[in-house]
Amino acid sequence: MTLYASDQPRPPALDLRGLVKSFGQKVAVRGLDLRVEQGRMFGLVGPNGAGKTTTLSMATGLLRPDAGEAYVLGRDVWNDPPAAKALMGVLPDGLRLFDRLSGRELLRYVGRLRGVPADAIATRSEELLDALGLASDADQLVVDYSAGMTKKIGLACALIHAPRLLILDEPFEAVDPVSGEGIRTILRGYVASGGTVVLSSHVMELVESLCDSLAVVVDGQILAAGTLDEVRAGESLQQRFLNLVGFRSATHAGESEVLAWLRSSSV
Amino acid sequence: MVAVIVGLKLTLLRNGLRRSVWRIVALVIGLVYGVGIVLGCWAGLVALRFAPADLAAAVTVLGFGLLTVGWLLMSLLVFGSDETVDPAKFALLPVPARRLQPGLFLAGLIGVPGIATTLIAAGLIATWSRNPVTVVAAVITVPLGVATCSLLARTATSAFAQALSSRRFRDFAAVALALFGASIGLAINAVTNASRGFEPTVLLAILHRTGEVIGWTPIGWIWSVPAETAVGSPVIAVVKLLLAAAFLAVLWLAWRYFLSGSLTSPLESGGRTRTTVRGNLAERLFPDTPAGAIASRVLLYWRRDPRYLAAIGGICVAPIIVIVTQLINVDHGSRPVAAFAPVFISLLLGSVVTTDISYDGSALWIHVVTGVSGMADRAGRAMATAVVIGPIVVIMTVAAVLLSGEAHLFSVVLALTIGLGLIGLGVGCWAGSVWQVPVPPPGQSPFQRNNSGGLASLASMGASTGLTVIIGLPTIVLVILSYWFGWLAYLAIVVGIVSGALAIRYGVRIGGRRLEARWPEVLTRVSAKT
Repeated sequence: MTLYASDQPRPPALDLRGLVKSFGQKVAVRGLDLRVEQGRMFGLVGPNGAGKTTTLSMATGLLRPDAGEAYVLGRDVWNDPPAAKALMGVLPDGLRLFDRLSGRELLRYVGRLRGVPADAIATRSEELLDALGLASDADQLVVDYSAGMTKKIGLACALIHAPRLLILDEPFEAVDPVSGEGIRTILRGYVASGGTVVLSSHVMELVESLCDSLAVVVDGQILAAGTLDEVRAGESLQQRFLNLVGFRSATHAGESEVLAWLRSSSV
Repeated sequence: MVAVIVGLKLTLLRNGLRRSVWRIVALVIGLVYGVGIVLGCWAGLVALRFAPADLAAAVTVLGFGLLTVGWLLMSLLVFGSDETVDPAKFALLPVPARRLQPGLFLAGLIGVPGIATTLIAAGLIATWSRNPVTVVAAVITVPLGVATCSLLARTATSAFAQALSSRRFRDFAAVALALFGASIGLAINAVTNASRGFEPTVLLAILHRTGEVIGWTPIGWIWSVPAETAVGSPVIAVVKLLLAAAFLAVLWLAWRYFLSGSLTSPLESGGRTRTTVRGNLAERLFPDTPAGAIASRVLLYWRRDPRYLAAIGGICVAPIIVIVTQLINVDHGSRPVAAFAPVFISLLLGSVVTTDISYDGSALWIHVVTGVSGMADRAGRAMATAVVIGPIVVIMTVAAVLLSGEAHLFSVVLALTIGLGLIGLGVGCWAGSVWQVPVPPPGQSPFQRNNSGGLASLASMGASTGLTVIIGLPTIVLVILSYWFGWLAYLAIVVGIVSGALAIRYGVRIGGRRLEARWPEVLTRVSAKT
């Protein structure tokens, strides 16, 4: 096994080549290349509408690219979907869950769809529900969950079949600090044991403290990619990101004129 | 506020049309039908101008009374109410229901049914252009009558939506919906029963009588105002006008009540938390495979999602109407027709399976991402539908045959219900992978439909029913022949089961492959917020 691995380079956990996607007139992703090696905690950052979600959807088989290829651990997502999908755990953003099921039922449902043996589903879901602080609400319908709880049960669903690559779209959105720390601990342990995480976020501090490498997506293309230190290039990630995106602070334009009506209470 | 909401509705309509060619096609078809119906009604209403006043009175009251019932029935059973401008979306704005109401009301009338009804009602002015007083009465009647139609439908759909979404009233509401269908059957029966005489004078007398009766019911109050004026009882006309106005006021207030409800607590989260019982029976019914998992999940949804309940109601109402109509009518009812009524459910089964995948909405991503096979998806949904509807079909078949006293028909009815039912499942498995119908989004009122949604689901229902009949032809032919050769009935059962099994096998296989090849596209279509 070790011999084999040293002979042959390990395939990257995620390999996206020349992905293109447009919706009508609007080009969302234009020829995006991205390579994530195994064992990384990889952050995908970018402003709103940069194409992060579109990119991750094409990587996970949820959205067919107009052109380009996606490989998960060497398996082609679009030519051999079952093999690639079996290796991935996915948490999309903004899509519904089967929310008329309780948290526990939903977890068991996903486990059964994934072909996880029944006894493994039982033990894993108890552990996951405990670790994510959902144990006391496990028998409530997901539709009654708060936004943060919904994120957490979605994450549990992504983990139930012990995937080798986790693709998480905005996993920390609406999650409280305590649960957030719980999720970070889970993810760090997962990466330490050889798994790979690709997560998108627009909170720079979070990516800076959690990820070891990242890519900056702007306007459907990768502007910078590499390890955290390579991308930061001596600045704070926040500053570097603003420079890359080409941000011009609104107050620079005309000091106090901007949104002046908002400053005094008009009522 | 009125202008803002009406403007919003127009903008939404325009953007909807711009986004999809099928919307335009649906609108054009709707317009063609609408124009045809309006012109036909106008011709009739103008002709009535020259008929004796009492005849015109009877015909218009009966016709417009039926139109009003039609609004109610069509909204509850087929089209839903037009919620293009969704009241729940106004929840965050500092506007009370009272101020939203006029705008929402007018916006609801913009659309083919509303405009067509208004135009048809305007034809009444021609009918009653006999003297100044009747003209004035007709002019008052038009807006009030149209408002009655639209408000009745809206209030009824909101009331049922509310009831179906709360656990306590859900079963009650489902039963009420079925009883409602049955009582419509009774009403139709009363009219046909009475009209059996077939002599013009008798028919005319019945027409007058029903017209008079309907004129004294809430659906007829307003429409009979100009009639009463013309026939010469102005006091009664005024009384009816007052009654009609009071009825409208009650509807208006009832609608406001439901509207305030949806502004403060959208159906999506009823405020109460719901706890489930562990170790559900639903899971033990099916094999421990992905298909079994999907089947047990869909089964839970039949119980927990009001949209599925409304679907059961929709396909069971028609046979109940037929059975009740035929059996109540002791002298003239056709007992065989009652015995065959359960076949309706089997015919409509295909459309239920077809729609199932659309009910998932964007939650379907879970099926896509887990790489579950398309065949498992198809088979699972078919199994769950069979488990829910199967017993209903069997019980109805036995009940219909026993109640109608046509026990010798049992074998042929069984051949048709089982054969066509199984074929329907197979057809649905295939059709659901080919087209996805716009349905009310999860957590919304099961009666909510946006423009063109109703037409699309009618088309889908027609297509899957037609396909079921075509594949079921061998069984149907055998059933017909068994009229002369009794033993063929048993052959029909065998042929029905065999062709059903074949339909399911190939429906699951072809539909499954199709799904696997098109998961992302299907996901996009079912998640679209129509």
